[in-house]
Amino acid sequence: MDLLGYGAFFLTTALIFSLVTLGLNLQWGLTGLFNVGLAGFVAIGAYTSALLTTPDDAARLGGFGLPILVGWLGAMLVGGIAAAITGIATLRLRSDYLAITTFGVAVVVQLVALNAQKLTGGPFGIGFIPRPFGGLAETPLLFNLSNLAVVSVVTLIVYLALEHLSRSPWGRVLKALREDERAAISLGKSARFYRVQAFAVGGAIMALAGALQAHFTGFIAPDNYLPALTFQVWVMLIVGGSGSNIGAVIGSILVWAIWAGSGALTSVLFSPEQQARAASLQIVAIGVMLCVILLVRPNGLFGDRPWRPRFGKRVRVATGESGTAS
Amino acid sequence: MRQTVLDVRDLEAGYEPGVPIVRGATITVDKGEIVVVLGPNGAGKSTLIKAIAGLVPITGGTVLLDGKDITAAPAHTMVRLGLAFVPQTENIFPLMSVEDNLKVACGILMPRETPARIEEMYGAFPDLARQRRTAAGNLSGGQRQMLAIARALIVHPKVLVLDEPSAGLSPKFVSMVFEMLAGIRKSGVTILLVEQNAKAALAIGDRAYVLVEGKDRHEGIASELWNDPVVAELYLGQRRLNPERDRHSGKGSAA
Amino acid sequence: MNLQFVVDGLLAGSMIGLGAIGVTLTYSILRFSNFAHGDFMAWGAYATLAVVGAIGAMFGKIAPMAPLSFGWPLIAAVIVGMAITGLLALLLDMMLFARLRAKGQAIIVVMASFGASMALRSLLEFIFSSRPTYFSRAIQIAMPVGFGIRVTPDQIALLLLTAVLVLGVHLLMTRTQTGRSMQALSQNAALARIVGIDVAKIVRVTWIIGGALACVAGVMIGILIQIRPFMGFDMLLPMFAAAILGGIGSVPGAVLGGLIIGMAEAGAVQLVGAEWRAAVSFIILMSVLFVRPIGLFGVRER
Repeated sequence: MDLLGYGAFFLTTALIFSLVTLGLNLQWGLTGLFNVGLAGFVAIGAYTSALLTTPDDAARLGGFGLPILVGWLGAMLVGGIAAAITGIATLRLRSDYLAITTFGVAVVVQLVALNAQKLTGGPFGIGFIPRPFGGLAETPLLFNLSNLAVVSVVTLIVYLALEHLSRSPWGRVLKALREDERAAISLGKSARFYRVQAFAVGGAIMALAGALQAHFTGFIAPDNYLPALTFQVWVMLIVGGSGSNIGAVIGSILVWAIWAGSGALTSVLFSPEQQARAASLQIVAIGVMLCVILLVRPNGLFGDRPWRPRFGKRVRVATGESGTAS
Repeated sequence: MRQTVLDVRDLEAGYEPGVPIVRGATITVDKGEIVVVLGPNGAGKSTLIKAIAGLVPITGGTVLLDGKDITAAPAHTMVRLGLAFVPQTENIFPLMSVEDNLKVACGILMPRETPARIEEMYGAFPDLARQRRTAAGNLSGGQRQMLAIARALIVHPKVLVLDEPSAGLSPKFVSMVFEMLAGIRKSGVTILLVEQNAKAALAIGDRAYVLVEGKDRHEGIASELWNDPVVAELYLGQRRLNPERDRHSGKGSAA
Repeated sequence: MNLQFVVDGLLAGSMIGLGAIGVTLTYSILRFSNFAHGDFMAWGAYATLAVVGAIGAMFGKIAPMAPLSFGWPLIAAVIVGMAITGLLALLLDMMLFARLRAKGQAIIVVMASFGASMALRSLLEFIFSSRPTYFSRAIQIAMPVGFGIRVTPDQIALLLLTAVLVLGVHLLMTRTQTGRSMQALSQNAALARIVGIDVAKIVRVTWIIGGALACVAGVMIGILIQIRPFMGFDMLLPMFAAAILGGIGSVPGAVLGGLIIGMAEAGAVQLVGAEWRAAVSFIILMSVLFVRPIGLFGVRER
């Protein structure tokens, strides 16, 4: 019985990760936009929803006590806008600039979460975030299962919507732009607008995932949104195979299982004083895993990106893109 | 007696595996002569010459330079082996000064002689001497071509290989470039060039090859080729059928 | 207003600028943003610390060179640390980046550098734990130099060192064959090979210079602030912002960008408080991207 409860808890967390990964897959897998600050967008969603739905709190701004659903929609809206602004700033430039800027977004969001006490509660975060089916908290199993049901439904809706989008003409344009960054830049405004849209929708999905997580645990703090989160989600997408939505979901569940399993293992194997160190070794292992997958099997389990090596460039050109093919 | 400098046999080359663009081309260049490779658009002229310079993977055949097999030599060793290549476009370092362009090319092989060699090039190309501090990217089209050629010549190569030196130049500069090449040959440099501008190239060339679909289909004395019926059929005839393209590719315009 | 921020800004700017040189060189020659560059700093600092420890174990306690807080062991250790960090960069390139570069997808290399950054940092945490440590615990007395500014001897020495290193790199880039080859490679990689430049060799030189300078920057942070595994990661955003502000590929630009950001940070610390320091780079970065994405000394991409 306890196992069932843990299973539900595990799956809920894994599915929330899947949502983030699905958002990233729209940005990277479908559109080729590189986001290394996704923890920032997840945090934006979590904090927005928390602010909108928590009861009034004298110590900080808001606590508007709005319904949970409003919180989720607000999270998506704010996350989407933040992503759109990031995209507008960088998508006319080389992809590296987007990477650097998203990285900066995550740093700044972390900074605001830590220091803007009036808004975010500072290092102690925000508590008393209303949970859907909070009334069931007395019976943990039922509570866990109902949470799982909610998260599953949301994930399924997002999944189906993304599948539909990627097959639509809109998705085909994105794929075409992904294949040729220079063309995407030189095609000008209309192409850029498509990419900004994709980046914004991806950001909104990440924010929604952050909001779900906040309402699922009932408590958020800046520590939840460190760069390690960004990193985990990237590994999930790469393992699953970028470009594939089903790959994103399965990769998330798989990597989360490895992560949680190795975490449980270290807590058994190492004494409490050594656990912080062991945890860092866990990140080393995952980092190495990411690099190895990129080297050995860049398509992951289900990826669709055509990684055709460009023969002439591969053989002879040691650097960069300014190849000799013409 | 004829002394072969560059000997290309049955060359096969292309960017993608299994898709050769050059399919069995055989050409030779003797010491002191100018050899021209002609051919319709898409015949593989440019790929042939890049493959010789080590820039396109070679899948078959051999390239001998002074009897030495250089088929598998990496591009960056070609200069040392005695083959200097001038690409068609982007053939200078735009943000470096004229002098630094020459310095970087010469300094790799002969750092001690660099200052003397640079003066030698300035003597041959007074235009460059006047602009030695100018960023190469700010030169005119003709001067860029001059710099690109000087950059290749500065290492005293056994053979100078050029990919369409007249491409993108205005008519005035086209004749200037060809006069320059004729002068360079007189000083004893062996030259292999690919050209669209058949008439101008044949005027200065000793021998010429016509490349069609990646193969050398015809060879002859340059001065005779212009009137050769086979060439007219293979190459010039085709162009006559397409006067519009002729106007564009033949004359070109200043970049 | 207290002018002390000028010194603080110059020092912060030196650290950022030395790091940004590596970032800008890697970007212009290898065409990718290296997210692991900050971790080279941390590795450099820890490597130097380890060598100082080893020297201490061999020769016993050595008095610092007054008035500085450190003695010759640290100077010797920095030189060894620079070599180690350069080799680390080289090794990472051989094992990871070079192989991915060969596949021709530049952005995958960026992602790999992100993964490598995570692994390198966590490895430091594993070996040395996340507790901060110091080269010296001695407190230096800051000397007043007028205008209400106080400077410690260490700070003066490190500013001079930065100036010497920057000048050295600048001369290397503009006056030597290797430097000209680096410029050539960044401007036109295909032509560089035609001209006879051995690309693999120049790539190696680039990594060694970038790694060595990152080590010096890391040691500076270690001397003036503290050593921790995250020290380099926290410098990443300022370094990227400095490289972009200065114009990608420009060494003087990277240094100037670093100084501007260092000054702005120091000013912001005085005006709005130290906790908002990291936001300064982001604001500058976003303004540059909106107003002049090629930076101060940059050139439009071909």
